Amino acid sequence: MPENYIEIENLRKTYDGKKFALDGLTFNTVKGEIYGLLGKNGAGKSTSIKIMTTLIGFNSGRGSVAGYDIAKEASKIRKCIGVVQQEESYDFATVENNFKLAGLLWEVGREERDSRMSELMDLFGLEEIRKKRMFDLSGGQKKRVQVAREFMHDMKVIFLDEPTVGLDPIMRRKILDYIRQKANKGLTVLFTTQNLEEADMICDRIGIIDDGKIVEEGTSSQLKNRYGNLRTLTIWIGNDSIFSKEDIQKVFSDIEFDELDVRDNVITIITKKLEKNLGNIMSTLSNNNIQVERINVENPTLDDVFIKVVQK
Amino acid sequence: MKIPAFLRLTIRNVVVNTDMGTMIFMLGLPTLYLFVMGFMFQGIVPNGLRINQNGIDIPYTTFLAPGIIALQSFTAGNIGGGMLWSDRRWGMFEQIMVGPFRRFEYLLGIIFVSIFFAIVGSLIMLAFALAIPVSFNYTLIGVITFLLAIVIGTILFSSLFLIISGIAKSMQIYQTITIVLFFLLDFASTSFYSITSSTPVWLVYIADVNPLTYISNILRDSFIYGVNYQTFVSLGIIFAGMIVLFAISMRVFRNIRSGI
Ligand SMILES: Nc1ncnc2c1ncn2[C@@H]1O[C@H](COP(=O)(O)OP(=O)(O)OP(=O)(O)O)[C@@H](O)[C@H]1O
Ligand SMILES: [Mg+2]
Repeated sequence: MPENYIEIENLRKTYDGKKFALDGLTFNTVKGEIYGLLGKNGAGKSTSIKIMTTLIGFNSGRGSVAGYDIAKEASKIRKCIGVVQQEESYDFATVENNFKLAGLLWEVGREERDSRMSELMDLFGLEEIRKKRMFDLSGGQKKRVQVAREFMHDMKVIFLDEPTVGLDPIMRRKILDYIRQKANKGLTVLFTTQNLEEADMICDRIGIIDDGKIVEEGTSSQLKNRYGNLRTLTIWIGNDSIFSKEDIQKVFSDIEFDELDVRDNVITIITKKLEKNLGNIMSTLSNNNIQVERINVENPTLDDVFIKVVQK
Repeated sequence: MKIPAFLRLTIRNVVVNTDMGTMIFMLGLPTLYLFVMGFMFQGIVPNGLRINQNGIDIPYTTFLAPGIIALQSFTAGNIGGGMLWSDRRWGMFEQIMVGPFRRFEYLLGIIFVSIFFAIVGSLIMLAFALAIPVSFNYTLIGVITFLLAIVIGTILFSSLFLIISGIAKSMQIYQTITIVLFFLLDFASTSFYSITSSTPVWLVYIADVNPLTYISNILRDSFIYGVNYQTFVSLGIIFAGMIVLFAISMRVFRNIRSGI
C-alpha cells in the first residue's frame, strides 16, 4: 500500500456563511504522484489549496498533508510544503534577491543556495534578468520567478495553483518537465490548471471539481473512456470521386454512426463504436470503388470530458 | 548556524526595505529638516533663534535636534508596520504564512525591523546633529532613557501602522491615512517647536495626545535638560500607549484574512 500523501475527507468551507465554496471535497494522492485538480472558475480549486496549505481554516471535514493533520499540525505541514499561489507574490527587490531571500527564509546554506539559484536561473531563463527589479519584469517573467523561487528549498509536497498562466509554450514545457522530474524523485504534486492539454500531459490522476466537490476522478485515459468515447473519423477520398451527402448516406446505410458529414472530398464520421465499424467502413468504401487517399482518427480530448462533466 | 524564524524575517525585512526611496524617507528628509529648518529659523532672528525653556536658554538647532531624532521612531514604525500592507499587496504575506513561520513570528519580524531602523536612524541623526554642532550633555541615564524612548516609541508607531495596514482596503486609503498622520503627528508635536503660552489651544490638545510630543520631550531631557521625574512620567505615558496599540494590532492581525 503506497502512503497517502494528501488525504482530504469531506471538507466543507464557507466564506460568507451562506454558499459553500467547498461542499464535501474528498480525494487523496499517493507519494510521488502528480494530481491535477480541474474545474471551472470558482469551482473551489484555490480554496482547497489554501486550506491544505493551512492558510485558511474550514468548517467541517478533515484532512492531512504528508501525514500531518491540517487543522492541528499546521506548523509541521508548513515546514515540508512548497506553494505557488495563483496570485502573484514577490519581494520588493531584484530577481536575484528574491531567490536569496527565499534561501534565507528556508534556512538554505549559502553554498547550497548559490548552486540551486544558478541551476534554477539557468533552467528558467532568468540569467539575463537576475539584476532587474521585480517591478520591471513582464507578467510571464514574474510568474517564472515565482515558480522557480519555490524550488529553492526541499519539500515533500508542492501545491501549484495555475503555475503556467501567462507563460510561453517553451517555458511552460520546461516547467512541466521539471515538475515531472521532481515527481519521479518522490515529490508529491498538487496541480491546478485551465489548460487541459497540459493536465493530460503531466497529471497521473485528475480530479474534476465542481461546486466544491470532486465529481469525476481517474487517469486521463480512464476519464476519456468513461466520457468521451466518441471518436471522429475523417476520410479524404480521391478528387475525381465527388459524392453528395445522400450518396454517402446510402452507401453507409448499414453502419452505426452519430454524425455524418460530407464536404467536397472529405467525409467525417463521428461514432461511439469506431473499433467495431472501421473494417466495415473501409470495405464499404472499396466495394463502392471510392478511392481513399488518407484517413485520420481523433481521440476524445480532455476538453470533451471536462465540458461534459461540468455541464451535467 | 540556526537563525530563529523571527530573526530571519527581520533580516528579510531589512533587505527588502533598504532601497533608495526608503532611505531618503528615513534619513534624507530628517536631515533636511535638521539642517534647512535649523538654519533657516536661526537666520530669521537677528541674534539667532533661541529657545528658553525650564530656565535654560539654548540655540534653536540644539532644541530641534532631539525632536528630529524622535521622528525616527515614527518613520521606522511607518516603514515596519507598512510592511504588512505591502506584503499583503504583493502576495508575500500569504507566501510567508504557508512557509515555516507562525503569525507571531511575522509580527516580531516587523517590530524588530522597526526597532533596527529606528536605532540606526537615530544614531545617524545624532551624528549629524553633532556636526551642526549642538551642545548635548551625555549621561548614562540620559543614553538609557533615549534608547528606551526610541524603542517604546517605535513599537507604538509600528503597532499603529500594523493596525492601519490590517484594516485599509485599498492603496489610496492606506496612503492617505499615512500622509495625514505624517503631517498631523510630525508637525503638531513638540518635535519642531516648543509649546508656549501663545500656542493655540487646539494645537496644544493635539500635541498633548501626540506620542511624538512625549518622545521629543524625553529626548530633550536625555540630552539637554537632564532626566527628571517628568521624564519618567512621559516614558510611562508612551509605554501605556504602546501596550494599548500593540494589543489592538494583535487583534487586528489575528483577524486578517488572506488577500485584500
Ligand atoms: N476571500 C473570499 N471571500 C469570499 N468568497 C470567496 C473568497 N475566495 C473565494 N471565494 C468564493 O469561493 C468560491 C471558490 O473560489 P476559488 O477561488 O476556490 O475558485 P477557483 O476554483 O480557484 O477559481 P479560479 O479558476 O477562478 O481560480 C467562489 O465562489 C469564490 O467567489
Ligand atoms: Mg483559483
